[in-house]
Amino acid sequence: MGFMDKLRDAFGRPPAKEVAKKRLQLILKYDRAGLPPNAVEAVKEAILKALEEFPFIDTSGVNIHITESENTKGKIEIEVPVRNN
Amino acid sequence: MADKVICITSGKGGVGKSTVTANVATALAMKGYKVVAIDADIGLRNLDLVLGLENRIVYDIVHVVEGVVPPEKALVKDKKTKNLYLLPAAQTKDKSAVKPEDLVKIVEELRDKFDFIFIDSPAGIEEGFKTAVTPADTIIVVANPEMASIRDADRVVGLCEAMQKPEPKLVINRLDPKKVARGDMLDVEDVLQVLSLDLLGVVPEDKNMVSYINRGEPAVLFEDSIAGKELRNIAERLLGKEIPIPKWTYSEGFLEKLKRLFGSE
Ligand SMILES: Nc1ncnc2c1ncn2[C@@H]1O[C@H](COP(=O)(O)OP(=O)(O)OP(=O)(O)O)[C@@H](O)[C@H]1O
Ligand SMILES: [Mg+2]
Repeated sequence: MGFMDKLRDAFGRPPAKEVAKKRLQLILKYDRAGLPPNAVEAVKEAILKALEEFPFIDTSGVNIHITESENTKGKIEIEVPVRNN
Repeated sequence: MADKVICITSGKGGVGKSTVTANVATALAMKGYKVVAIDADIGLRNLDLVLGLENRIVYDIVHVVEGVVPPEKALVKDKKTKNLYLLPAAQTKDKSAVKPEDLVKIVEELRDKFDFIFIDSPAGIEEGFKTAVTPADTIIVVANPEMASIRDADRVVGLCEAMQKPEPKLVINRLDPKKVARGDMLDVEDVLQVLSLDLLGVVPEDKNMVSYINRGEPAVLFEDSIAGKELRNIAERLLGKEIPIPKWTYSEGFLEKLKRLFGSE
């Protein structure tokens, strides 16, 4: 590493080990669920498209994430909020 | 004893399975337990080198499977360490030469004659791994504090669960306290947050390791080896002794910090 790189690492950038930990936590979530890393994005897009035709659904609030599951490899949870008015 | 047949595995290659196997087996034998180490890395024989026994091999595990000799006859007795025996892998055959049921049978035949049976697994998660893990009642996963190794370790844990084996215990190998202090390397806490396994030991990076292997003398034989000390502690923990695991923290001095910033390393 050159001096400027070291200086940048010493001031401001998060330490490499923190970056590694965050990346690993994400990777293992997908590995454990047996899903490729952008699978959730793809599912989300498809669902958003399908929900567009329902005016009572607030598509901007759709929340989607992977969680662990007892009976299957993993579970994709989707929250679909209904509009207030 | 529940922890009698112990398989050492990792997923990723080169992380220290054979080193941990040879050293922990030697440490237990030094304490008077009768120990056999089985090299299950068929085709890539290695454990004999770490133990310095390569010149004394006559028969190997494939001869046993083929019925040429009974398991006891193929064992190589360690000269330096009393009570320690090696069942060597074959160097010329491939992984399919020993099937899970073959290794189960060999372990059953040796079980009553030994206090501990170690199985050094090949890298990977295919046949050879499954064969090595099948007879074990305790599994140790070795990982380096490094991304690919941890990811592979997690795969192995999942596969062990699918094989209905008890959850593996973790040995972190080659932790470098200086790199941890600089924030360059994952520390013990980080690894445990990601893997959440029972921690059996943390073996530090030891610059003398290559020379121990070159001489065929395991690190545990040397009082002053930093890795050897932790490897002896792992043996004690397998015996049920509660020995605290060192945190391996290191604080960089001010001068050292400056030197790192301006130096060329
Ligand atoms: N704590 C340590 N400090 C320094 N070097 C180490 C340490 N542990 C292992 N090594 C080195 O790492 C290399 C690989 O170790 P080893 O052969 O035990 O790995 P392995 O997991 O059995 O590999 P394989 O997957 O090929 O069977 C060796 O050269 C060894 O000297
Ligand atoms: Mg090996």
